[in-house]
Amino acid sequence: MKKILSVLLVLTLVLSLTPLALAEEDGKIVIWTWDPKFNIAAMNIAADMYHVDHPDVEIEVQEVLSDDIEQNVATAATAGDLSTLPDIMLCQDNSFQKMVTNYPEVYTDLTDLYDFEGFGPAKQAYSIIDGRHYGIPFDAGTVVGAYRTDYLEQAGYTIDDLKDITWDRLIEIGKDVKEKTGYPMFSGQAGSVDAIMIMLQSCGASMFNEDGSVNLKDNEPLKEVVADYMAMVEAGVFVEVNSWDEYIGTLSNGSVVGTFNGCWILATILSLDDQAGKWDITNMPKLANAEGATNYSNNGGSSWAITQGTDVDLAVDFMQMYRNVEFYNAILPTTSAIATFSPAKEGEAYSAPSEFFNGTPIFATILEFGEQVPSNITGAYYYDARNAVSTAVTNAMNGGDIDAELATAEDTVNFAMGF
Amino acid sequence: MTNNANARPRRQLTLQKKQNLTGWIFLLPATILIVWMSFYPMVRAFIVSLQRGKPTALQFSEPLWRNYERMLQDKVFVQSLINTFTYLIIQVPIMLVLALIFASLLNMKDLKFKGIFRTCIFLPCATALVSYSIIFRTMFSYDGMVNAVLVSMHILKEPVNWLNDPIGAKAVIIIALIWRWTGYNMVFYLSSMQSIDYSIYEAARIDGAGAWTQLTKITMPLLKPIILVTAIMSTNGTLQLYDESVNLTNGGPANMSITMSHYIYNTTFVTSPNFGYAAAMSFVILLFVAVLSGIQMKVGDKR
Repeated sequence: MKKILSVLLVLTLVLSLTPLALAEEDGKIVIWTWDPKFNIAAMNIAADMYHVDHPDVEIEVQEVLSDDIEQNVATAATAGDLSTLPDIMLCQDNSFQKMVTNYPEVYTDLTDLYDFEGFGPAKQAYSIIDGRHYGIPFDAGTVVGAYRTDYLEQAGYTIDDLKDITWDRLIEIGKDVKEKTGYPMFSGQAGSVDAIMIMLQSCGASMFNEDGSVNLKDNEPLKEVVADYMAMVEAGVFVEVNSWDEYIGTLSNGSVVGTFNGCWILATILSLDDQAGKWDITNMPKLANAEGATNYSNNGGSSWAITQGTDVDLAVDFMQMYRNVEFYNAILPTTSAIATFSPAKEGEAYSAPSEFFNGTPIFATILEFGEQVPSNITGAYYYDARNAVSTAVTNAMNGGDIDAELATAEDTVNFAMGF
Repeated sequence: MTNNANARPRRQLTLQKKQNLTGWIFLLPATILIVWMSFYPMVRAFIVSLQRGKPTALQFSEPLWRNYERMLQDKVFVQSLINTFTYLIIQVPIMLVLALIFASLLNMKDLKFKGIFRTCIFLPCATALVSYSIIFRTMFSYDGMVNAVLVSMHILKEPVNWLNDPIGAKAVIIIALIWRWTGYNMVFYLSSMQSIDYSIYEAARIDGAGAWTQLTKITMPLLKPIILVTAIMSTNGTLQLYDESVNLTNGGPANMSITMSHYIYNTTFVTSPNFGYAAAMSFVILLFVAVLSGIQMKVGDKR
């Protein structure tokens, strides 16, 4: 029996040491992406348009959830067998650096293969690692401030009163609106730190320094952001809920005046038929003291990556679709996916006014906002830092000292990076 | 047979060998599968737990036990350890006692509608872990059912944000676990109670033993082996708790309800992947399970 055991062990060890298997070039493009109404729909339109000139190329769009894509990449890379991966896959911008840094053998360096002229620099920064491009930008996560104009009116304000303001002014208005209407201004998921990340990027600040080291302990903009956030919650201007569904619930049942989030949140708002004409958008408030503060930021969004060893040339040729204004015009009405490719704003679909939002041409407005978003540094340890900041903020809200909490957070991230 | 064996001892030996061989051949497929799918990964995981570096370029760390050594300095890991043991110490005893009480109630001879009660108590076990977690999250949300009921009954003055409170979040997870698993353990007790002869209870009653004495002097001693099994299974399950932590509270607020398995998952897939450290933490859980089960066997099984 011992012999059998040892033979088995040796066999399996040998099997696990087989060299890296690459995917085959088969002249077929397989794409992994996750949302049927959004990025899958966009890719199907791209495939249809590509088929006009290339009728022989087979393109298959498969629905794979974002988390599953990341796990599949991890599994394939550690098993040394990339043949299970698709030619093109979508990756969350916040995960991009983590994935490429940890699994460099999976992703194709696109720097010399693709023309990145015309894409917003803040958007590109997510998928640039060590100065090399790995991602073709897809949708923007440009932040908009969306407000219920009917509630604002009741309190004697208009949407223009919320344009180009600071957070201090927002808290003033928010208190007044709450007093007059009873509704808090914003809602957000406790512990998710989405709001804090948005506010931080709006002044071009990051949780990391240029050299990749952690920047939490003495990060003045971050402290200002946390102070503003806590002031909002304390004043009842920002109400914290526990889950994503509850957050969406506050919007759909009209228990908040508005929200500030990536422009993809508009898809949710647009689905609330009973609230048509009651909404309008403008930019978000900015930090009062931080250097380089703007009224623009980014949250969410994703970019396309091309797998190494597959039909790279074919995939790159297909992805030229994302430099095509026609394509962006075609996907906008069905998907509301807002481009990060500046020339797209010339298209008709972009300048059309939206009935839902009081006739504001929301898409052109968002593209315009997008050009002004400052870039930030995400890095491979983005989620480590995000979790640490979340813990720090939660503790600070429960009476902890924010300086001490951020110092602890920095230690936590440094600890993770020490491996 | 003895005659036969004495006459031809050589053949007897080969027959035994043959039988042994047949036995081994029958065992072989399962053995190969277990070794390949279970033991080999464990060995590999142990090797990985001594390594560090990028997922595809792991190298042995210096010193070898570096991942294990660093664990104690990891505040989040220590917190997850405290959380998991809090769940274990509070939840397992409550659940097992409740299961025992339910089982002896359902074992009463003159109880009507036994089938319905039994189904009701066992039914939670048929629900998927994720779906029941989400239902509990909804029930305990700020404007959820629990708050509405407690406020309308004037037990609470104003709604409590259960899931955003360090103690509240833990309490909700413990309540959820008890709801989900009590029926499961009860079934074990019930089935072995039914094998206890009813005449023993009758005799005890004639001797003047009350319900409590019957439970502690007859039922529990006779159920000892099965209580031991459920205790080990529950301990094991609680140490590996994952779904509830992820779906009910997402580890929050501020990691106050995160479990060890949830943290291991985060280390592997959510944050920048660190397979070596995650594997090391998995082995620590294995160690805890082994030690705790060992203690329970020593304490519980006096044979």
